Amino acid sequence: MSALVFSTWSAVSPYGVGSEPFRTGIQAGRSAIGALDRAAFPGPFTEGALVPDFNAADHIGRKGTRTMDRVTGIAVTAVGLLLADGGPELTSRPEETGLVLGTGSGSVQSIMDFTRDSLVGERPYHVDPARFPNTVMNRAAGQSAIWHGIKGPNTTIAGGRLTGLTALSYAARLHRGGHCARVLCGAAEEYSEQRAWLEWHGRDGDDRTSPLGEGGAVFLLETAEDARAAGRRVRARLLTTRFRAFAEPSDARAALAECVRDALKQAGARAGEVRVVAPAETGGHLAGTEEAAIGDVLGSAGPRLLGSRALLGDTSAATAGLQLAAVLSLLDDEETPPGALALVTAVDRDGTAGCALLAAATNEES
Amino acid sequence: MTTAATSAERRAQIKGIICDILEIEPSDMTGTSRFKEDHEADSMGAIEILSNLERTYGIDLDQSVLPRMVNLDAVVTVVDEAVAAK
Repeated sequence: MSALVFSTWSAVSPYGVGSEPFRTGIQAGRSAIGALDRAAFPGPFTEGALVPDFNAADHIGRKGTRTMDRVTGIAVTAVGLLLADGGPELTSRPEETGLVLGTGSGSVQSIMDFTRDSLVGERPYHVDPARFPNTVMNRAAGQSAIWHGIKGPNTTIAGGRLTGLTALSYAARLHRGGHCARVLCGAAEEYSEQRAWLEWHGRDGDDRTSPLGEGGAVFLLETAEDARAAGRRVRARLLTTRFRAFAEPSDARAALAECVRDALKQAGARAGEVRVVAPAETGGHLAGTEEAAIGDVLGSAGPRLLGSRALLGDTSAATAGLQLAAVLSLLDDEETPPGALALVTAVDRDGTAGCALLAAATNEES
Repeated sequence: MTTAATSAERRAQIKGIICDILEIEPSDMTGTSRFKEDHEADSMGAIEILSNLERTYGIDLDQSVLPRMVNLDAVVTVVDEAVAAK
């Protein structure tokens, strides 16, 4: 079992900037999908779920944000919110604080824009050097740490819709190996015309036109003792994560069911103890896979399913990160019994399945 | 040929580019205020200024001119020379 708990967290989402709008949006089940501004976002989609009027400068200041791309702005803002919420103690030991951030390909918009400038400019080197850092995948994680003075291990994780879960697994291992005392862990994704076209071409089956979303969520993972000592409330304990690969879409159901069984077994928990499951709701040929696998393990009368795709759109690399935030939002509910279990699942068309098992804080912990 | 009018226009344009990159108000910059000492420019900012001027004026600026580009007056001179040499 992991030694880590989720304490402070933050979100930048189509509900707005901060964990509070996210929590109320999720608890109300309100859809944040709306018509896209077609002038700003041409491309294959007419609808989407964007962070409303998002401009990083409004949240972290004008200086230094001029050449920051959207996903970096979302990540730096989310990390800033978390640090502000966590209190000054959190930044007092910057060398012992790690940052693990999940992303897609970084910003495909930045990568494509920069490459195009080089191809169509008068000279191949007539590009804007200040925008070059945006073209590397670890820009968001690196900039978040530099901006906020976090000096521990800095890692970028990419794993499709599982990204938030693989980042969580990596963060737990980083801590277990003694590489940091606590770790900020999350995922971020931006909306862009370029990403929209990539999704449009990459999706399969009847999934092509389902709207995209964007956003990011970051969690502080630390020991319950540290959280208590710093006066930060424990929201949930991370029990374990599990992952499997599958070769054919038809094997995805069994792969995910195995992940869930293994996770329960390792935590010494029974299926009936799982109160809520947040699936990624991956579509196309994998549509319904997660629900079927959950039913296989937890039974048909199983737990409450907390899908957020209908509310936030397909948030790609941020999917599992926002699912975790949704689960924490729900566990915050006063009706949640202490110690209740929550499961976050995801499958990806690249052939990966995974889950994370969490337990609501017990009375002693919170 | 550079007339007095186009020269003044170019100077104003160059000042706009530099102020934008250094994130300062144009009123804070004089012809001789120094980018590094007075406006907190770093080496990345210097490269950005050079690169932006190349793209804006279709000129090539060798990196060896960078040490000369310490203030607005010096940059205008460097650009004028490069435009004349085109």
